[in-house]
Amino acid sequence: MARYQNMFTQVQLRGPLEAGPPLRNATFTRTGPGFYNYWMGKFGNAQIGPIYLGTLGMASLIFAFLSFEIIGLNMWASVGWNPVQFVRMLPWLALEPPGPEYGFSMFVPLNKGGWWLIAGFCMTTALILWFLRTYIRARALGMGTHVAWAFAAGIFLIITLGFIRPMLMGSWAEAVPFGIFPHLDWTAAFSIRYGNLFYNPFHCLSIVFLYGSTLLFAMHGATILAVGRYGGEREIEQITDRGTASERAALFWRWTMGFNATMESIHRWAWWFAVLTPLTGGIGILLTGTVVDNWYMWAVMHHYAPGYPGTGVIDPATLPGAPK
Amino acid sequence: MKRTPYTRTALAVISGLGLLALGGCEPGHKQTVQYGYRGTGMNQIIDVKHMVSPGTIPDAPYPLPADGGPKAGETYQNVKVLSGVSTERFNHLMAEISQWVAPPEQGCAYCHNPENMASDEKYTKVVARRMLQMTQTINSTWSPHVQKVGVTCYTCHRGNAVPANKWALSAGAPHPGSILGDRHDQNPVSADAAYSDLPTTGFADYLLGAKNIRVYGTTVLPKYDGKGASVQTAEKSYGLMMHMSKALGVNCTFCHNTQAFGAWNLSRPQRATAWYGIRMVRDINNTYISSLQSVFPDNHDRKGPMGDPYKVNCTTCHQGVNKPLGGVSMMAQAPALWGPVAPYTAHAGAAAAEPAAAPAAAPADAAKPAPLAMNGAGPGTAAK
Amino acid sequence: MALLSFERKYRVRGGTLIGGDLFDFWVGPFYVGFFGVTTAITATLGTLLIIYAASLGPTWNPWLISIAPPDISYGLALAPLREGGFWQVITICAIGAFVSWALREVEICRKLGIGYHVPFAYGFAIFAYVSLEVIRPFLLGAWGFGFPYGIFSHLDWVSNTGYQYLHFHYNPAHMIAVSFFFVTGGALAFHGALVLSSVNPAPGEDVKSPEYEDGFFRDTIGYSVGTLGIHRLGLFLALSAGFWSAVCIIISGPLWTRGWPEWWSWWLNLPIWS
Repeated sequence: MARYQNMFTQVQLRGPLEAGPPLRNATFTRTGPGFYNYWMGKFGNAQIGPIYLGTLGMASLIFAFLSFEIIGLNMWASVGWNPVQFVRMLPWLALEPPGPEYGFSMFVPLNKGGWWLIAGFCMTTALILWFLRTYIRARALGMGTHVAWAFAAGIFLIITLGFIRPMLMGSWAEAVPFGIFPHLDWTAAFSIRYGNLFYNPFHCLSIVFLYGSTLLFAMHGATILAVGRYGGEREIEQITDRGTASERAALFWRWTMGFNATMESIHRWAWWFAVLTPLTGGIGILLTGTVVDNWYMWAVMHHYAPGYPGTGVIDPATLPGAPK
Repeated sequence: MKRTPYTRTALAVISGLGLLALGGCEPGHKQTVQYGYRGTGMNQIIDVKHMVSPGTIPDAPYPLPADGGPKAGETYQNVKVLSGVSTERFNHLMAEISQWVAPPEQGCAYCHNPENMASDEKYTKVVARRMLQMTQTINSTWSPHVQKVGVTCYTCHRGNAVPANKWALSAGAPHPGSILGDRHDQNPVSADAAYSDLPTTGFADYLLGAKNIRVYGTTVLPKYDGKGASVQTAEKSYGLMMHMSKALGVNCTFCHNTQAFGAWNLSRPQRATAWYGIRMVRDINNTYISSLQSVFPDNHDRKGPMGDPYKVNCTTCHQGVNKPLGGVSMMAQAPALWGPVAPYTAHAGAAAAEPAAAPAAAPADAAKPAPLAMNGAGPGTAAK
Repeated sequence: MALLSFERKYRVRGGTLIGGDLFDFWVGPFYVGFFGVTTAITATLGTLLIIYAASLGPTWNPWLISIAPPDISYGLALAPLREGGFWQVITICAIGAFVSWALREVEICRKLGIGYHVPFAYGFAIFAYVSLEVIRPFLLGAWGFGFPYGIFSHLDWVSNTGYQYLHFHYNPAHMIAVSFFFVTGGALAFHGALVLSSVNPAPGEDVKSPEYEDGFFRDTIGYSVGTLGIHRLGLFLALSAGFWSAVCIIISGPLWTRGWPEWWSWWLNLPIWS
């Protein structure tokens, strides 16, 4: 009964480690020869490394480390440098942005959000440097830059949340705090403040693309594994010279839902769904508070908010002689 | 093969973690309530085993005597709030107060000098007098919140000299100007914000101060007047709502259809009751408790780290249930607390009780505070 | 007939689970099979019922149409059609259609001689749906706990059901599910991008081989999971997202009734801190 379903690699080969294709215009060499790991080999490639660090990579890591340290040390200081309480309270600890009284000022006392500004700056710098790195690494191998632009879409969402929208609103207090539970509180409070984010059409689109991405990856991953016995995972080969794996994969979807992608176009579908998730989400964030103050009321205005039987309750503050 | 022991260890670890996670759960029998139109998800699911008991009302120390006979103001000296109550009923109420509030080993002596019961030398007696006025105000003025059920000393005190659930202004960051120990009034995890990471400054902002709880946008498009609430302010408001939910043992849908938190025509009547409750608590904290600031001794049983007396919030009365003490009125055993009772005067002893003030009347006027004898404190130090 | 150039040689008989050769044919590009027939019946019936129930409602605005489950007072019993009965029948039709569709996929897999990964993956989606509309309502003892069929009304259900637990983001399974969704999105972007960047290389370049794909990811992050591994990883991430979503709602109510933030007090109260 048990069939080979290609979930784990059964036979692992061992030989010289792959050094990787030659690099063009590189100032550095790749670091380390790499090594094999048996358990990684069960699931994917057994080889770990080498890595190309490079100027941009190291600069990015330094800035990422700085922002990580600033956030961590602020959190640790907030529990009086107590290591036990730091671990215990970690999910609750925060590095909060400046309060509304500071507006969008760049000069905020360190303990009132100044550290947040510096941490955010370091994190953003690290992300942008990493984006440049992915671009240059791709070019150094003569490849397209699709990975870099996909990464840029994610950076756009992060910068929108932490910089562009606070700038448009004129207040850092609109920005997201660093912290596990604190950023979740921000998300919920943001929705409450601006009248239910579920009625923000761009939030709807972003969720559609997020769920759609998950659906696509399940469909695509499953299809390729299902035709793995015909070498389906050799996608580039199947794109340039279609084989039976590609044909069976296409026919599976054609017979199931009347439509199929090709081995190349499925990756275009994937790229666009994944990239549109943060792009539409970022647009939804940008419009909130700047263009629309209450999404529920906006939905009522545009006839897409369902009505429920009214309760007849009226605001007591509007009654004559109501207490303050 | 060397893989088997690894697999076994991994399985054991995973199932152990799973059991740990389930250990925090409530697998028992549930009760369910529907709060809104079908399919809106406005429900509450209650785990019967963890249901909070509403508490039991103690039997009166002895049956309530009939009204009549000499007034307390005639019989005793220095009776300022209850002078118009009959002596028999006055004594009955005193016995009840000592049962509800005073530590049993002290009894009457907790407030009174046994040698001279009329003396105001113990601060507890001054506080008790102010609390009697407060209780009468709540029952007469704040009926939109306490309905016909009303409150007595027992609703909050439950046999404790100081109610178990209270709050005071927070000490704030221990090192001003430094991040050391600064939790932004936000991360000391407590039941005050239902264990979330939301701010607990809501008590000072909304239950003592009168900052605007309504952060929800009121217009479709922004007004650009710089008066809109920030997301940080929204978190404070949310924090207070977490407290209210926890205090009443309910969830957000008990009052709101979260489709639109701010829309009154989608909200349940309970939201209006809560609206009055917030104002009632503000009145209690400002008019009654803050006015006792100088009466209370400077110790940490009575005052918080900033030296302000302990104040009330929703939990003080509700204690985890939506109707305190199961919504049973104690009026029959302490009718004098539903006053104001006309004061006894030598010549007009039979004057009819003043009609209860309308709910909309300014509550501070409903019961004129009696002069506070101790430490030269004036009445009504806070008039927000 | 809409046949692809290579399609004819794959259109062979056999592989059916039930019905033998009876329904073993195609309609246009669609394979039928026994489960194609049951899919068509249940899906058509369910769709017609939605349209009929909508016609009894106040609106034809597609954003506003909502077919709600019964009141909780009906428990696990059948409700009158206009008071939640439509929802109940539509739910049965939907499950029938979804399961038929999955079994039809199995037949197609057998016909094409490929693995059952797609119907297996689809099973997770069905499980998530059944968790919301059957398993959790059943555990809570009333169909009224299911979500309504409406584009925006089901979002109101999500909102209110979340606020039953004061702050749903603190639900640990919800955290895991959301993390898996985000990671899946990221992994999909990178996989799609990597393949596209190999077959659409820099101007004037030849198409790149998988060695370049591995080289690119090893250069940037020190590891490349490989052409086969990325599909295993993607399938694992996507199914985990669906699975933990189902878990996060099944435990809300049946296993936890208070605010989700309060659930974390077990962590704060671990004896190791004292």
